[in-house]
Amino acid sequence: MRLICLLFFITTLSGCYQNKALTQNTLIYCTESLPTSFNPQISHDIASLDATTHQIYSRLVTIDSKTNKFIPDLAESWQRSDDKLRYRFTLRSNISFHQTDFFKPTRFLNADDVLFSFNRMLDYQHPYHMVNNQAENYFYNHPFTNLLSEINKIDDHTVEFVLVKPDVTLLANLAAHYAVIHSQEYANQLIQQGQPENLDFQPIGTGPFKFKSFDSNGTIRYKKHALYWQSMTNIQNLIYFTNPSATKRYTKLLSGECDAISYPAASQLETLSKNKNITLNSKSTENIALWAFNTKRDILKNYQVRQALSQAIDKKTILQAVYFQSAIQTDTLLSKQSWALKPRFENDQYDPDKARQNLTLLNYDFSKTLTILLPDSSDVFNPNFHKTAELIQANLGDIGIKTDIINLSGAALKARLRSGDYDTYLTGINVHINDPDSIFRPLLSCNSTAETGNSSHWCSPKIQVLLDQSLTESNFAQRIKNYYQIQDEIYKQRPYLPIAHVLRLDAISKSILNVEVNPLTGINFQNAIKQDLN
Amino acid sequence: MLSFLLRRLNLLLITALILTIIAFAVDRIVSVNADAVVSHNGYISQYFSYLWNILNGNLGHSSVDNQALLDRGLIFFASTLELCFTALIFSSIIAIPLGLLAGLFRNTRLDYGIMTIAIIGLALPVFWVGVMAVLLPSVWGQVLPVDGNLSLIYEVPVVTGFLLIDTLMVTEQYELFAFIDRVAHLILPALVLSFFLITEIVRLTRHSMTMVMRSNYIQAAYAKGFSRTKIVFAHALKNALPPIIPQLRLQLSTIISFAMTIEIVFNLNGIGKWLFISLKTGDYLVLPAGILIISGFILSFSIFIEILMVIISPLRRGSLYADK
Repeated sequence: MRLICLLFFITTLSGCYQNKALTQNTLIYCTESLPTSFNPQISHDIASLDATTHQIYSRLVTIDSKTNKFIPDLAESWQRSDDKLRYRFTLRSNISFHQTDFFKPTRFLNADDVLFSFNRMLDYQHPYHMVNNQAENYFYNHPFTNLLSEINKIDDHTVEFVLVKPDVTLLANLAAHYAVIHSQEYANQLIQQGQPENLDFQPIGTGPFKFKSFDSNGTIRYKKHALYWQSMTNIQNLIYFTNPSATKRYTKLLSGECDAISYPAASQLETLSKNKNITLNSKSTENIALWAFNTKRDILKNYQVRQALSQAIDKKTILQAVYFQSAIQTDTLLSKQSWALKPRFENDQYDPDKARQNLTLLNYDFSKTLTILLPDSSDVFNPNFHKTAELIQANLGDIGIKTDIINLSGAALKARLRSGDYDTYLTGINVHINDPDSIFRPLLSCNSTAETGNSSHWCSPKIQVLLDQSLTESNFAQRIKNYYQIQDEIYKQRPYLPIAHVLRLDAISKSILNVEVNPLTGINFQNAIKQDLN
Repeated sequence: MLSFLLRRLNLLLITALILTIIAFAVDRIVSVNADAVVSHNGYISQYFSYLWNILNGNLGHSSVDNQALLDRGLIFFASTLELCFTALIFSSIIAIPLGLLAGLFRNTRLDYGIMTIAIIGLALPVFWVGVMAVLLPSVWGQVLPVDGNLSLIYEVPVVTGFLLIDTLMVTEQYELFAFIDRVAHLILPALVLSFFLITEIVRLTRHSMTMVMRSNYIQAAYAKGFSRTKIVFAHALKNALPPIIPQLRLQLSTIISFAMTIEIVFNLNGIGKWLFISLKTGDYLVLPAGILIISGFILSFSIFIEILMVIISPLRRGSLYADK
């Protein structure tokens, strides 16, 4: 009885334990996982990007989220030379780095900082080259190695990027998360202190928030960077809190303990979208789940066989059973927001009867067992490979094809991929930059191996020429035309069956405005405004 | 008196030794690979050096972040104790009046009503009630926090480990808001934890009150013509409450283990969550340290209460002379 009275009394208190003045300028973002480091140059997982790219650092150029055009960030302007090999960037002046307990900058940003940031990745002799680097993801850390030949300092505020060969993806690469600018002065200080590894764990940048602390409970604290060169928000303190339980994050969003949460569980999406106090932000990403056909296998050599197999797969069920509402079904490699996507009017139809007829007409050998290779652990583009494989197995079973599911992990998987001893492979691609080449090249180039993405062992001279041409093509319309041709060819040849484009989901309280989520580079609180709704 | 103290301390010592042997065994099992080099020393000498380390307050270092286990364990344990203590206060406020009423009006509808509530409280698993409480924000919105020890807005340096005290030390910066925030964060978990305690206290108080009301001096007071109110307040209460305390002492280990479950449900930084997380991350050295801290506390606390009871309660003093 008294307990009920007490509970009633508590409800009438209604959140008045909070200090309005403090909650007003503090934003708490509850995330799913901890960042692996505070440097997007070496960590490409979404948690690390969310915690760093837009908050701590700035890049030379960024992409305008509305127009999709490159806009200057730390670089004021840029010019390209006539031979398309040299890009000259003029840096903004009076850009200051973060003032923190562990670093007090004595100078503004200049060309040395830019050189340091890129040479760390490019120059094998650089003192920071091997610091905190894992040999395993080495390749992915160095998107610039095949792109740039050198970077020159012209004067304190001008740098010149020299390309190996003409390549229009330079700007996209400079706008990517791994092209952030570090402070050379800080790096030198760390070398003197004998702790170079701190560069990636006690970061200094030029972004809107400066790093304050990180503790093992998963709390990251940032403070507003008072000397930030762009207009800023009313947020003084930014706090990230890691809580792996989706239920907990959801409850904390409701109880007001979190202002925004990442990755609400699929089961919560319906109630979340009905809640008037919460905005559900879903962004389709370029990350795609694929089913690759090994085109070197005799049984799958004929493109008509691959097409017929694609017809037998019920993508809708896979989407419902594996992704719930966290992905959208797709028939194309490029996502809807890509500028190079060729609009398509005929879609993949799920038609097992027709698939069987077609296979019979093609004299397909139904007695053979088809192998489905898949990685052991889940990935950003597929939360459950095994379930997906089982659904595909059931679909193929319906048309009379026996299948074998092979789960492999790590080195065993790599070895199997290299040997090419598999019929099909459940995979996907995690895209880091907003350029169609970053999807097509790993999947379709003859130079790409199964380990680097080309798990269908696809090599066609026609597509290779188109890929290479588009890379140096400065006429935008022609480039789009090339990509349209590639898409047509791929749609017909079917080395891959695209299954789903994965969504990035964030639930944000209505009291927070202007949070931008970029599916490639992470969440951005630079313009966030917190308002009092009561 | 001295021989009584010696007997108690003797008990403490022997139990503590047994505990260290258990902790040592756990320690050996989990770190068998780590120091295979020293194992040729033989277990006996290893045990003695382990004991020596414990006596020096060295329980080893975490294999994950290399922090001293004793310091960290004590800080976490302080927060667990804070939770238990708050739950005890809550349940006393709620349960003692209920128990007294039930005892006074024994076998009436009121008694049955109160006892029904108490039995339901006992029947509900604590962690289930905790999970239900965590879901409350979906029903009533932004009212009480359901997660964590303290809002992340406040940065309170660890001094004593007792956050209620630590938050009072930062009043210059946050005024009383940090303290209020801490209290708000304690309310729900403490209420859930007190569910179990309420049942126990109601039953104990009811029983004790019944016994007192049946005793001869109360009958005598009735015979003298005192009013019922005067009898209850002047004579019965004073004698009904003290016997509950030693009974509650027996519940201490249950309370602490429930508190550890609650911590995991409410994501509170206490010793339960510390052990849980350490097990998940494979930091098994935390296990013997946790055993030693928790059981050491329960052991010394119950002996302390026993001694205290002997000092304050004349009836119990008889046990001083048991050997005579």
